[in-house]
Amino acid sequence: MSNVAPVVFVVDDDPSVRRAIQRLVESVGLQVELFGSAQEFLRSERPDAPSCLVLDIRLPGISGLDFQRQLAEANIHIPIIFITAHGDIPMTVRAMKAGAVEFLTKPFRDQDLLDAIQIALERDRTRRVQETEVAKLRERYESLTPREREVMPLVVSGLLNKQIAAEIGASEATVKVHRSQLMRKMGAESVADLVRMAAEMGIPAAKPKAP
Amino acid sequence: MISASAAMTGSYDYLQVVLSVVIAISASYAALDLGGRVTAASGWVRRAWLIGGATAMGFGIWSMHFTGMLAFRLPVLVSYSWPTVLLSLLVAISASAFALYVVSRHELGMVRALAGSVIMGSGIAAMHYIGMAAMRLAAVFRFHPLLVTLSVAFAIAFSFAALILVFDLREETKGTPSRKIASAVVMGAAVSAMHYTGMASASFMPSTVAPGLSHAASVSSLGNAGIVIVTLIVLVTVVLTSAVDRRLASQRAELERGRELATINEELRKEMLERQRAEDALRRSEDQLRLVIDTIPALVWSASPDGSLDFLNQRWLEYTGISSERGLGWAWAEELHPEDREGFVNAWRSAVATGEPFEHDVRVRRADGEYRWFSKRAVPLRDELGHIVKWYGTTTDIEDRKRAECALQEAQAGLSHVTRVTTMGELAAAIAHEVNQPLAAIVTNANFCLRQLASATPNSDKLREAISEIVNDGTRASAVISRIRALLQKSPPERVAVNVNQIIQEVTILLRNEMTRNRVSLRTDLAADLPRVSGDPVQLQQVLINLVMNSIDAMRSLAHRPRELLIKSARNHNEVSIQVQDSGAGLDPERAEHIFEPFFTTKPEGIGMGLSISRSIVESHGGRLWAASDSKGPCSNLLYQLSST
Repeated sequence: MSNVAPVVFVVDDDPSVRRAIQRLVESVGLQVELFGSAQEFLRSERPDAPSCLVLDIRLPGISGLDFQRQLAEANIHIPIIFITAHGDIPMTVRAMKAGAVEFLTKPFRDQDLLDAIQIALERDRTRRVQETEVAKLRERYESLTPREREVMPLVVSGLLNKQIAAEIGASEATVKVHRSQLMRKMGAESVADLVRMAAEMGIPAAKPKAP
Repeated sequence: MISASAAMTGSYDYLQVVLSVVIAISASYAALDLGGRVTAASGWVRRAWLIGGATAMGFGIWSMHFTGMLAFRLPVLVSYSWPTVLLSLLVAISASAFALYVVSRHELGMVRALAGSVIMGSGIAAMHYIGMAAMRLAAVFRFHPLLVTLSVAFAIAFSFAALILVFDLREETKGTPSRKIASAVVMGAAVSAMHYTGMASASFMPSTVAPGLSHAASVSSLGNAGIVIVTLIVLVTVVLTSAVDRRLASQRAELERGRELATINEELRKEMLERQRAEDALRRSEDQLRLVIDTIPALVWSASPDGSLDFLNQRWLEYTGISSERGLGWAWAEELHPEDREGFVNAWRSAVATGEPFEHDVRVRRADGEYRWFSKRAVPLRDELGHIVKWYGTTTDIEDRKRAECALQEAQAGLSHVTRVTTMGELAAAIAHEVNQPLAAIVTNANFCLRQLASATPNSDKLREAISEIVNDGTRASAVISRIRALLQKSPPERVAVNVNQIIQEVTILLRNEMTRNRVSLRTDLAADLPRVSGDPVQLQQVLINLVMNSIDAMRSLAHRPRELLIKSARNHNEVSIQVQDSGAGLDPERAEHIFEPFFTTKPEGIGMGLSISRSIVESHGGRLWAASDSKGPCSNLLYQLSST
């Protein structure tokens, strides 16, 4: 998976600027794809590879910031580097808060753009690895029995077997079996490991009923 | 007892016969004469003439007859029963009266003439035979029927001829005296012929019976002469009276004519006076008109149909200081400004050729050598066939107006410059972006080049490509700068042939970013074969920028509708229209009237000069700018139209 070549997407309505960025980015050995508008980008088939988006703030029909929000809403988590010919502070703040990697003012220093692209790609790689990890955990979680799924949040919350048995109305021995099965199926080496997995999958620890 | 012996032979007294014929002719003449008088008169005069005339005529006829009878001598004593004689006289007068009545009518048809002649002839015949019946002698009459009939026929024929003749001759003017006399002779002869035929029809048989001599009287030679003389006197009197009356009548007529003539003369005199007065008035009004033309504070002239000047008023001569020798004919052309001369003369010749009303501004040299602007206008005067008979013209000094116009133009140019600068200020961000775009590309490309050069194996193809893009972008940035500089520059307005579509393209390039920033999508609809318009490109761009900026502002508040802007150019006959339409809320009719007023604005930070300036710019180009209503729902729709070159 890590051998897939990363791609840099450029969305700018000025063809001359687009071509210049392409030239520069390709010169450091990265693959570049150019788009004249946000719609064009959305319609394209993007490869499953680490990627980032170099986005002009002013686009025909929609502003870059609005497009950033649209992507987030559509669950497309691609790191964005904004470029603008005439940016202001409020715009920058809004972009950065919404998770932009960098906000560059035209004309920008070439190294700044290339650095930002590197950071963005790195961030995307990490995100992709994380996404793979969570997918694996979800797969393991799917193999659990309902009883084991019931026991998991209780274990994660740090309860003893006896307490869990009382909580679910089973014998302590049964709980012990469930627990060992759960740990084995999830591939957790310790309770701490299981807690991390639950956090990654977004499964909250259960709260004991009454002490 | 009557013996059947041979008829008595009578003899005629020839002197008496001649006398009777003379009386007949005289009576006829009197009848002809009277016919005219009776016809000419009217009322009681006419009646009097009828009665008098009938009496005279009847008396004449009777007298002829009686004289004719007396001329016949028989071997026996002949006496006459005087009541019967009187009766015959009455019959003669009645027949005459009837005859005169008939001929004095306005018309005498054939039927009336025949009937009249039968009655008159019968009357005369009756008179004749009654007269004969008055004879008292010792003999009996035997009438030869054929001759009696002949005599009656003669009487009727004579009457017919008489009626026709009298009727024909009654008109006083018609018929000469000789003709009248000739007619009288014919008539007299006819009457005599009738009489002697009548006499011849009778033959007298001797009778022993003594005639009844009661009331009888013999006619002595003296009596006979008396009758003749009285008759002639009566007839002469009648003719004389008639002549006098006619004379009087003609004198009356003459008098009448004289009075008429006097009236006509009077009228003529009045008319002449009137004409004299009218001529005086005309002369006065002409003088006055001339005075008006010479003193009116305008320079007035006229020209013959060929265009040469034939009149210049006093003011013209005084104001221009040009003498009539130098002004009349075609000499005036020399006084025109050399730059204007050819154009003006051509325009004037073309007006003269086509007959179109003429209007042209031209600089004319005054006596002091200064050229001043004049507006010359002229209209042709045509005759009823439409041919030009004269050109009438005025020359108006418009130097001051021209100067004021120039000053106004300068002021307007200044104002439009200020608003242009203001607009450019509003556009600063867009302009910065427009310059920054090529700069960003240039810097990026240049950096790429540096990287390539720093590497061990620079790719020369890539380098060339990048450098040529740098050149392109540099040119692009410079074009934007010069476009802006043109808009910011304060230069006098010029007039060149302008391609409207090019103006639209320039403006859309300049404002592309402003539109993008405001998320306005632009659509242009440019007509392909637009004629060029005469105008100032910078000013025309300014108008369009203004309209587009307004549209962008108008759509700024639109959240749920697409922000669309349409710029359309079209040809409308020999005009070019440019339309700017947006999808904004539109203009309410109340505001639409005010948007072109200075200092009217709907924008919080606007100064309200944009549309006012735009309109004056368009109007200075001979065009117009207005807000058009569109049925397609709310949107502002501004149009301007310019005439093509």
